[in-house]
Amino acid sequence: MVIAGFVVQCQPQSQQDTVVALEALGQVEVFGADEKGNIVTVVDAESSADLEKIVKKMEGIEQVLNVGLTYLNVEDEAKKIASGDLSPNPFPRKKHWEKLN
Amino acid sequence: MVQTRRDFLKRTAALSAASYLGMLLPFQDVDNALAADETAWHRGSCRLCGVGCRLELGVKNGLPVALRGVPQSRTNMGYLCMKGMHFWKLMNHPERLTTPLYRAKKSDKFKKISWDEAMDIAADKFAGAVKEHGNDSVAYYGSGQALTEETYLFQKIFRGGLQTNNVEGNPRLCMASAVGGYMTSFGADEPIGGYADIEKADCFFIIGSNMAEAHPVIFRRVMRRKLDNPQVTVINADPRISLTSRIADIHLQFNPGTDLALLNSMAYVIIEEKLHNQQFINDYVAFKKGKGDTIDFEEYKKSLADYTPEKAATIMGGKVTADQIREVARKFASSKGTLSMWTMGLNQRKQGVWANNLVHNLHILTGQLLKEGADSLSLTGQPNACGGVREGGGLCHILPGHRPVEKEAMRNQVEEAWGVPKGRIPALPGLHTMAMFSAVNEGKIKAMWINCTSPVQSLPNCNKYNTGLAKDDTFIVCTDIFPTLTTELAANLVLPTAFHFEKTGVYGCTERRSQITRKAIDPPKGAKPEVEIVRDWANLLAKKLNDPVISQCIKPFAGLEPEYALPKAIWEEYSQKLTKGTDCDLTGATYEVLEGMYDGVQWPAPTAEYAKTGGTVKKFVRGMDPMAETHKTDDKPYQFYGAAHPDHKLWIWARPQANPEEIPDGDYPFYLSTGRIIDHWHTMSMTGRIPELLRANPYSYIEVNPKDATRLGIKPGDMVEITSRRGTNIMPAKVYEGPIEGMVFAYWHDQHPDRMINKVTMDAIDPGSKEPEFKICACKIKKVSGPQALKPYIV
Repeated sequence: MVIAGFVVQCQPQSQQDTVVALEALGQVEVFGADEKGNIVTVVDAESSADLEKIVKKMEGIEQVLNVGLTYLNVEDEAKKIASGDLSPNPFPRKKHWEKLN
Repeated sequence: MVQTRRDFLKRTAALSAASYLGMLLPFQDVDNALAADETAWHRGSCRLCGVGCRLELGVKNGLPVALRGVPQSRTNMGYLCMKGMHFWKLMNHPERLTTPLYRAKKSDKFKKISWDEAMDIAADKFAGAVKEHGNDSVAYYGSGQALTEETYLFQKIFRGGLQTNNVEGNPRLCMASAVGGYMTSFGADEPIGGYADIEKADCFFIIGSNMAEAHPVIFRRVMRRKLDNPQVTVINADPRISLTSRIADIHLQFNPGTDLALLNSMAYVIIEEKLHNQQFINDYVAFKKGKGDTIDFEEYKKSLADYTPEKAATIMGGKVTADQIREVARKFASSKGTLSMWTMGLNQRKQGVWANNLVHNLHILTGQLLKEGADSLSLTGQPNACGGVREGGGLCHILPGHRPVEKEAMRNQVEEAWGVPKGRIPALPGLHTMAMFSAVNEGKIKAMWINCTSPVQSLPNCNKYNTGLAKDDTFIVCTDIFPTLTTELAANLVLPTAFHFEKTGVYGCTERRSQITRKAIDPPKGAKPEVEIVRDWANLLAKKLNDPVISQCIKPFAGLEPEYALPKAIWEEYSQKLTKGTDCDLTGATYEVLEGMYDGVQWPAPTAEYAKTGGTVKKFVRGMDPMAETHKTDDKPYQFYGAAHPDHKLWIWARPQANPEEIPDGDYPFYLSTGRIIDHWHTMSMTGRIPELLRANPYSYIEVNPKDATRLGIKPGDMVEITSRRGTNIMPAKVYEGPIEGMVFAYWHDQHPDRMINKVTMDAIDPGSKEPEFKICACKIKKVSGPQALKPYIV
């Protein structure tokens, strides 16, 4: 479980369309919006990798100008990394550095 | 209804975002639950660019488990970008260096050694070099990512202890031209204003900067300003259309290196149409040419005669029209507040200082300076290039507190502060970066310490310098958190260091703002903070060289625990003894004051009481800058006390258009430029080890204009060979309406030998700033195959 809060920025006139497009992504919940085109958004992702994919999709919505992170909780993932159940290393490898370490 | 942990976190996340907008949500009670949560929050700065975003790292049971922005921060107002979101993964990363590694020869394999052995070897090699080859046979090459305490202590030991000014850092590769521009135009380094001008500006002039990717949180502020105020004009001047261009009202696209003509032409229009501020000029401005010869307004005006908009448009390649130049000049001059921002597009040039001067010229001519919303603001690339390196004495020609090395009185002030004999610091500046690595090539540097940077990848024309770095003539120590191409090719001794939030220290960002980050979690077992490493090494050096002055350099720090007391003592010495009375006065910015701030302190801040207000938002303005009062020479509202301008004036420079070192010809018909991408940082030694960031952009590609691609038969994804007079890369093509026709663009982060673009770039330097011309060289391109499956590569 990775939970993140964002303020998504769009043109004020496209706010409703943007909210619809965000919610259509799934795992994205909209909690409110203001008249300036700021949208309070929470993403409930399976993992950091999943979150990254969702954010890229959010950024890819035509009306979205900016996706600003305000909060991130990764406690499940951090525990798994610390216990060795999950590797944050994109290169599962044994190089001379690791052997020496 | 029972609230699950998931619900609790989602509500917390929603409240966090809503609080930024002043929006109330129907579950504010989560605040109480939050207070009972076991997460401890530690405030600090983000490490992955020069903006200085403030955030809090959530730590639970010794693990980094959460991040949140600091909404009260005047740098980022709480917002964070995606690159910053992932840095916590570097803290427990399995590839972190945790043991000193040593090899006598660079062709050998490393072997693990103890810290005691490592320190002894490091001291032995540097002491031996000094004894056998003299003081200038040793060198330090540091980083704009090192904490101020680290850079300050390193340079103190090298200058005061080893008696060499061979002290440099990678900001020479990115900010030196900005330093040169500020010094020669304003008489003092670093900007007059800061980010606070963004919300007041009515015209943004963004030149040579892709801030949407390189400084995304600042871009967000500019975009917010534009959205809230449709009358605001955004002008983007760049040979490449980037993500930044999408908010521009006017985009000026021109051939690389012709922007000096644009800037002069804007000045031409401003004067021709009498849009300059004559009263401001009368009161505060002098005109200069060449190396500082004084001229008058008429001679300056005459120097612009060759830059009519029509002529400039032709010089720039014909895509920009004369009318567009007139339009942007009018908007620049007549807006309520014009804010210029730039980065490497101007700095990494053979004419980098001149380009900076010409932007400053426009602000001085029009008086678009010193008032709300108006400033000439160079954005910094690294988190502590300003604080540690420019202010802390991290370049070969400057001592701490912006003191020029060549001034004896300045050296004496530093010697007195350190309690070392007069004359201990050498009188001449040391070797600048490119000269330093040339000296490595020539075997003149016998021992070198490289801290927190990877010159094997980041130097321009790197093949040339890597030849020397790979030789056994120079013993090299690297301090870092991960293996890099430099540790692999060049190091004899690798020392594992603590990462951000694993140690305590101060970063100083773009806008003269110093901000502290306290240690929040333990580093991996075996890794140490640099300040501890340097102190231990200096202790041994003193013994091996039998030199009590080296002992004197570290005497104030003896016995202090390295996690807090040691960096605090170093900061106290630096801020209290070496910034006091200088234009970067941080006397009031003690650790106690900095720890009490959401963000930090903008210098000058001579007292704690003043520092607690946040410091100086605008330099040189009486009523806003305490030094403008203490250094005033008359009753005018602006007082330019910068030491480089004894006449207390701003200087407008007559600078002609001048070509880059290399321009396309029949053999090499394309311009090559390089830059950053949003997901990666510098040499990817960190971001390449985070799966989410690596996957987003696993390898570099070459951007080719569609017209060029059609002409050369290049399709998207085709493998393209890029060759200059210095080297070759092969990478996939991105056919994209980004670079102007006749220009290609590549990201510089990729470590793969086939895609390391600095093999191709140019090492010509600006004669003033000594900054290399990374941004422009000539190359040829050709398709070598269709698309191929590529693998990312990290050493």
